[in-house]
Amino acid sequence: MSVREVLGEEPEVAMAEERYRVIGEILSKVFRGARPLTLSDLLDEAFLNRYLGIPIFLTLWWALFRFTFDVSAPLSDLIDIIFSRLGEFASSIIGNEWWSAFVSDAICGGLGGVLVFIPPIFFLFFGLALLEDSGYLARAAFVVDKILRPFGLQGRSFIPLLLGFGCNIPGVMATRTIPSERDRILTICVNPLITCSARLPVYVLIAGAVLGAYASMAVFTMYLLSIVLALLMALIFKALIPYFRRGRRAPFILELPNYARPTLRSTLTHMYERGILFLRKAGTIIFLGIIVVWLLSSHPWGAPLDQSYIATLGRWLEPLFRPLGFDWRGAVALFFGFIAKEIVVGTFAVFFGLGEEAEIEEVQRSIVELGVFTPLTGFAFMAFTLLYIPCLATVGIIYRETNSIKWTLFTVIYGLILAYLIALLIVVIGGLMGLG
Amino acid sequence: MKEIEVALIGNPNVGKSLIFNNLTGGRAHVGNWPGKTVEKKEGRCIHKGVTMRIIDLPGVYSLTAASIDELIARNYIVEERPDVVVDIVDASNLERNLYLTLQLLELEANLVIALNKSDIAEGLGYEIDVKGLSELLGVPVVPTIATVKVGMEELKDAIVEASKRGVKARVRYREDIEELIERIGNILKRDENLTKKYPARWLAIKIIEGDKEVMRLIEERGLMGELREVIG
Repeated sequence: MSVREVLGEEPEVAMAEERYRVIGEILSKVFRGARPLTLSDLLDEAFLNRYLGIPIFLTLWWALFRFTFDVSAPLSDLIDIIFSRLGEFASSIIGNEWWSAFVSDAICGGLGGVLVFIPPIFFLFFGLALLEDSGYLARAAFVVDKILRPFGLQGRSFIPLLLGFGCNIPGVMATRTIPSERDRILTICVNPLITCSARLPVYVLIAGAVLGAYASMAVFTMYLLSIVLALLMALIFKALIPYFRRGRRAPFILELPNYARPTLRSTLTHMYERGILFLRKAGTIIFLGIIVVWLLSSHPWGAPLDQSYIATLGRWLEPLFRPLGFDWRGAVALFFGFIAKEIVVGTFAVFFGLGEEAEIEEVQRSIVELGVFTPLTGFAFMAFTLLYIPCLATVGIIYRETNSIKWTLFTVIYGLILAYLIALLIVVIGGLMGLG
Repeated sequence: MKEIEVALIGNPNVGKSLIFNNLTGGRAHVGNWPGKTVEKKEGRCIHKGVTMRIIDLPGVYSLTAASIDELIARNYIVEERPDVVVDIVDASNLERNLYLTLQLLELEANLVIALNKSDIAEGLGYEIDVKGLSELLGVPVVPTIATVKVGMEELKDAIVEASKRGVKARVRYREDIEELIERIGNILKRDENLTKKYPARWLAIKIIEGDKEVMRLIEERGLMGELREVIG
């Protein structure tokens, strides 16, 4: 008797059945009870309802974002104030002019400008952990599966994309739960388009500076654009790249854990584990990036900003960005933003914080006074920031997860092209409409 | 002082992280599995003079070669041979959870079962004969409620106890399947180096299932020719 004769054409399935038979035998001896209708079942009747599922999902999502940004705002203000006071204090006690500028402008101004985003980021992760630990996130994946299918993505792509709103790194890493390699790569490729929390500071800074009453609408538009383009690009890649079309679509099977009351400790642990990534990034690569920006912008020592090394670099990059209406300062900020998006804000903070306290309002005022952006080019700058590769660390993680230079380069390059095209489109169409 | 290696495994959402935190006091060294980006958590627990090095394996439903997480978990158990493997089982969802347990028994892991969420199972009106389950599987079973740290001392006791004795559990499958397992096992045993490293019974089951990784291994060892007849 061979395997085929005993177990048929699909021995793996037959073995699984045999294991369940043995389990059934064991349970018949040691287990008594029938599954009653639980609260979980009742909740699922509502959360997974054909008509209610999606509205409930959208409501919870909206609540999460309000929680993230509104509740954390006072804490951000506090950090802002602390750093600017610290900067003033440092420059008042340090005698050496260079060191005093270094501490107050580079460290307190630049890094402080980045660290004010600790509260929203931690709050976002706290909210996500709540949804996850309560068991809702798995339901959400189930609900949106239907929406994602037509775009070549699936329910399992949802959590990676959702995490991308916090940070693309855990987002890309979370694709590991997608068993199909093709679906996984596709989800990784579009993940950088999801606007991570590091890009939010850029939107807030620019929109607040030049878009006035339309600021919050512009920020919201970025989130919308992010989702629409992620889905659209998935659709386009699926249509144009044969790799994504090969093979059968795996059915979507997802375990729905029982709903549970999240414990404070595990929610805090989840928040901490993800949030710490941001802090680590802030302490290393962002900090270094900001120091480099400060060194280049304050040297030759004593020269005004527009004669500094960084201005030279900016002027060299400027022609590339001129069609988009960005001047050398915008060009340099995007250039360093490649390391990490937080540096874009840090760069502006260093530029305009030179010699004074770098509160966000101060930087925004300078952007307006110096005419760095018009409302239209500011909006285009936000879109560009949204679409080009989020940060060096994300590129690294894409490489590690796809294990392919080809897919990594693909993601970086299409992001740059898309960013340029969309920004150009905004400037051209806006120009034709007489905006600007 | 004696040091033993203890691996934690279980389906996703069974409370594995909580048990890990309860055992280690939340202090963990977080790294990555070699060459992989899957997170590896390691902690320590000292109990009755025994130091346990506790390794948190990825949450998995089974031990096939289908996903990175499952491969990591099973390779760890096969290759590192931890002294004790704690299989965390959701008491409110026994049938599905025991599927992983059976696969761990196939791997001849030195199992201790933590029957977690006992409170939820009780709330659902389930009655589980813990002693009977332990006898049928041939491994110790400890009821726990990780959320309120119930059963943790008993679990530690069972781990230390299990580390002193060997593996004695063996679940038997249908007669004709057992025959296949034995025939394949006999062929594999000719390659001593192979069966010294991997349990022959487990390899045999994986060969029956046509497991990608094991098939590759068999190919490498040049055993494919002899096995072809049995596989059919």
